[in-house]
Amino acid sequence: MAAPYAFRLALKSILNDRWINLLSTLTIASGIFIAALIGLSVYNFDLATGKLPEKFSVMLYLKDNLSKDEKDNIMDTLRREESIERVYYIPKDEALKELKALFKDAPYVVEGLGENPLYDSIEIKLKKEAVGPEIVRRLADKVGKMAGVAEIGYGEKFLSTIYSIKMGMRAIGFVFVSIMAAAMVFVCYSTVKILFYRKKEEIETYKLIGATRGFIRAPFIIEGAAIGLSGGLLSLIGVFSLYYMFFERLSLAIPLFKFIIFPVAAFLVLPLAGLVLGMAGAAIAIGRIRY
Amino acid sequence: MADEFMIQFENVSKYYDNRTALRSITFSIEKGEMVFVTGPSGSGKTTLLKLIYLAEKPEEGSISIAGWDTITLKESSIPIVRQNIGVVFQDFKLLNNLNVFDNVALALRIRGVSEKELKTRVYESLRMVHLRHRADSYPLSLSGGEQQRVAIARAIVGEPVVILADEPTGNVDPDTSAGIIRTLREINLRGATILIATHNRELFRNTGRRVLKLDSGNFAGEELG
Repeated sequence: MAAPYAFRLALKSILNDRWINLLSTLTIASGIFIAALIGLSVYNFDLATGKLPEKFSVMLYLKDNLSKDEKDNIMDTLRREESIERVYYIPKDEALKELKALFKDAPYVVEGLGENPLYDSIEIKLKKEAVGPEIVRRLADKVGKMAGVAEIGYGEKFLSTIYSIKMGMRAIGFVFVSIMAAAMVFVCYSTVKILFYRKKEEIETYKLIGATRGFIRAPFIIEGAAIGLSGGLLSLIGVFSLYYMFFERLSLAIPLFKFIIFPVAAFLVLPLAGLVLGMAGAAIAIGRIRY
Repeated sequence: MADEFMIQFENVSKYYDNRTALRSITFSIEKGEMVFVTGPSGSGKTTLLKLIYLAEKPEEGSISIAGWDTITLKESSIPIVRQNIGVVFQDFKLLNNLNVFDNVALALRIRGVSEKELKTRVYESLRMVHLRHRADSYPLSLSGGEQQRVAIARAIVGEPVVILADEPTGNVDPDTSAGIIRTLREINLRGATILIATHNRELFRNTGRRVLKLDSGNFAGEELG
């Protein structure tokens, strides 16, 4: 079919039924807006926890009086572990120096220690993909049993809490966004279905004079796409305004909000999501055209 | 089937629930013929046309249109066959939200004709039905006769091989009727095969054309007008 004609028909229909189309657009915009806020939260939390592997380390405290060979042996065994990126040996004297440096403003904390009570230790840095509660726990169990190891330490609870929140947020985000997407498709479906029924006789005439399925469908799909795209654009304006007016300004007073990032990809993703959902809703509403 | 037959029915029957609309109809129409089908209201004229433009399927028998066996035809091929048939519907089926030009142009737009060529052909069709001056009018502002002529213009603009007209003079005065039949004859002279369903015997009197007669769904013979 002549594409410009399909666009003309769609435009005419959008203007003729402007109120129902406007209502659908606003409904879609609010749906995408809510979904985008959830997405933004999950994205920022993911971003924040993404830096965790660089900071995270497992500390291995060694028994006293180990020979150099025994220590080297432990280091070599650790280096062979697949999940380990690097290992650092920290003698107990150095550890005490670090402790003193840490409490330089309150020297009385370390003054009464007498003989150095700390252990020689090994700091283990893990590969990025290995920083997860399950792998870390298995590794800790394994290396904790090695001869010469007195104790092992890592923020087990902290790590599993962070990962639980992260997974929970992802799951909730996924469920919410899926529900919203289904709702958006339904809104477009209903709108186009109403318009489709209203034009039933017209469509019947099209069919009788030989119009193909594509010719009949095209204006409705374009209309669904326009409603979805407009909804997507409005939601983008909403989310960006909220980010700019709220978080950007708030971050001047509360620096924590500086870390909330508005992803550039959203400028493409939100309108595109509206477009695809709108087209999908329209396509489902028209269904199979029977002659 | 002989190649020269444009429309061929063989023992075609059509039932609606328990009512027989057509019973074992057999006839054929040659390429380039202009034929009338007549009978009282409810005799099956409209059903016969609907079977040709594939709005209905027969329960029995076979139908061939311009070489297409409509019984075995795939659903996706129906638009292609319909693009080769121009229909003047009894109730016109004009779109009230489109002006006369766009109503006629629709038949070309569904065929993917370019806008430039479309303009020439639409105006030529409107000229043939003497409605060139009403191109910008909307159907509801036209008289019944004018609407009928718009329907004819839409049916002929795509230069289909078969033209079907269902009571094309049903809503018009005798002078307009004569004008419409004259127009259809002109189109027939250009090579189109035409089948006109009418209960008005005046339309085919002294035309020398074949007239197929239907009565209560039965084929009631054939005569020359």
